[in-house]
Amino acid sequence: MRELAKKRLSENLKQSVKYLTLVFNDFFILALIFLFGALMFWYAQAMKTMPSNLWFYRPLVGFILWVPLLAGHLVTLIKEADMQFLFTQDEQMDQYLKPMKHYSLVLPFILEILLAGIVFPFATIKAEINIFSYILLVATMLLIKVTELDIEKNNLYLGKKASFSIVSLGALLAALISAYYSYIGIVIGVLGILLVPNFQLTFGKRMDKTMLFDWRYAAESEKARKDRVYSIFSMFTDVAEKQVAIKRRKYLDFLLPKSIAKENPNLFLYRRSLLRNPEYLNLLVRMTVFAILVSWLVQDWRWALGLSCLVIFLTVYQLLPMATEFDRNFMYRVYPIERQNRGKDLVKVLTIGLFIQWLLISICWLIVLPINVSLFEAMAILLGFTLIVVATYLPNRVKKMNQKNFGIR
Amino acid sequence: MTLKIEHLTGGYTGVPVIKDINLEIKPGESLGLIGLNGAGKSTTIKHILGLLRPQKGKISLNDVVLTEQPTKFKREVAYIPETPILYPELTLKEHLELTMLSYHLDEKKAWERAHELLKMFRLDDKLGWLPIHFSKGMRQKVMIVSAFLADTSLLVIDEPFTGLDPLAVANLIDLIKKAIANGKMVLMTTHVLADAQQAISNYAVLNNGTIEVIGSLQEIRQHYGLKPDDPFDKLYLTLNREDHSNA
Repeated sequence: MRELAKKRLSENLKQSVKYLTLVFNDFFILALIFLFGALMFWYAQAMKTMPSNLWFYRPLVGFILWVPLLAGHLVTLIKEADMQFLFTQDEQMDQYLKPMKHYSLVLPFILEILLAGIVFPFATIKAEINIFSYILLVATMLLIKVTELDIEKNNLYLGKKASFSIVSLGALLAALISAYYSYIGIVIGVLGILLVPNFQLTFGKRMDKTMLFDWRYAAESEKARKDRVYSIFSMFTDVAEKQVAIKRRKYLDFLLPKSIAKENPNLFLYRRSLLRNPEYLNLLVRMTVFAILVSWLVQDWRWALGLSCLVIFLTVYQLLPMATEFDRNFMYRVYPIERQNRGKDLVKVLTIGLFIQWLLISICWLIVLPINVSLFEAMAILLGFTLIVVATYLPNRVKKMNQKNFGIR
Repeated sequence: MTLKIEHLTGGYTGVPVIKDINLEIKPGESLGLIGLNGAGKSTTIKHILGLLRPQKGKISLNDVVLTEQPTKFKREVAYIPETPILYPELTLKEHLELTMLSYHLDEKKAWERAHELLKMFRLDDKLGWLPIHFSKGMRQKVMIVSAFLADTSLLVIDEPFTGLDPLAVANLIDLIKKAIANGKMVLMTTHVLADAQQAISNYAVLNNGTIEVIGSLQEIRQHYGLKPDDPFDKLYLTLNREDHSNA
């Protein structure tokens, strides 16, 4: 089982490296360097001016050090087929999960240590936590992560399961208290050091000897974990393995035509896909919220206009895969559905979606930005830009995608 | 309307899976395609549905040639696949509406027919459900309802009895019989001959991508030297022996 775990981990690492290379491409790295540089510059400047030892500094340090614990759930790489083919291996699963746990610790440990390094000047100078207590606080956080993974591992066996949100909230509370009262931090740290191995021993024994492995739960949890990882990758690149869980969203049915008399199959499908496929609707919502948030932060109509234009263009760019999404459906190819004009149908559907996006951004501008004539001009320009993207860029790209897939002109 | 398959050779790559297939089905006729796994049944069906491009030969419905007028050809073909394939984002009601739109059906008449079919397969109270909430058998029933709703000249049915409850199998056989009686053409692949022979009159035995014999079950028995009371499974044993001797 240990060998199987190692083989799967190596395959998983290869796959992750493949996607990470795509995500962290040259442009993205460059953008990150600039962003990180700007953030560090701001941090250095702020350190010079901010007052020392305010009451919330220590809990803030605790909170910041708790955040990396949210990353990195237990990687199990359990597959659905394991329910059939490893069904008799319950007692060996602890051996299988050992290397999995070590692997799962890598990401949160790296993030925790990295963040601890960045926060160090603030924690020791402004929050006045002594160095020894700070190191102990970081060590406590790392031990809490180990304990969290042990709880997740324990949950993989049949029986009562601990809620991860409660465990996580407990960790937050421990982080806040340890940061605020250094001596309690020492107690928690020491308790952690004593309890974690003990926890492993106590529960480890139970796992091996008295508990049955919960195959279905393990397969579903791993699928959910993978979906979360793929969702992050898919924000930057195409992820072939990503499976989409469609949401019914009945409350949005008012956006669909009441009668099908004026519909055609492509329009009919695209409308429902935009409303029910989380990939598309969530993207539209996310980008709209992002545009509103950025506009509020910059507090200047010129910047808000420029950034909102960029957001609208990126929304269209990321919605382009809709053009060929049904080509993978066997029945779409069997049904007598004309594909000649489907590009126009997609443009019709996205025009409505983007118009709603423009409307929401404009309404929020009226709330968050200073109202003057320029703001109304910016709204008109944003509408004009949206229409130009919809009338020129979108049809052109859709046409190219259809030509590539089916030779449709 | 007549389905004509003339000298059809094809497959997935350059190497043909089916070789020089000739078939003809006239209105009111049915044909069962039988053979071992890998004989070329599904490949033949995929060619008829326009999912594969023939390497040689022609498929036509009357004078409408599939490769020349695919949409017009497909408008006369309904298909029930072995594994149900639905649109995850459409409810059952919307699958039926999509069928109405794709096959240009009169909405009012189509809904009357749809309600009959839905009741027959006990789906009439599940119109708002998404496919994710259906069992495999229920999904297969959605495919059956959609195919019979389309009311086409040709019905292509691939292993239809898998995963269906006995009541649904009986209803499906009944629907196929009625379709044939109304002048429709039916092409079906199946291994469950006991059920199939209730509706299908003629059979074509595919072996290694070619048609060995076409005829009634009686004629096929005679061709393979089976006695009238021999179980039909013996045919598969004979095909298996032939397959090995060819190898």
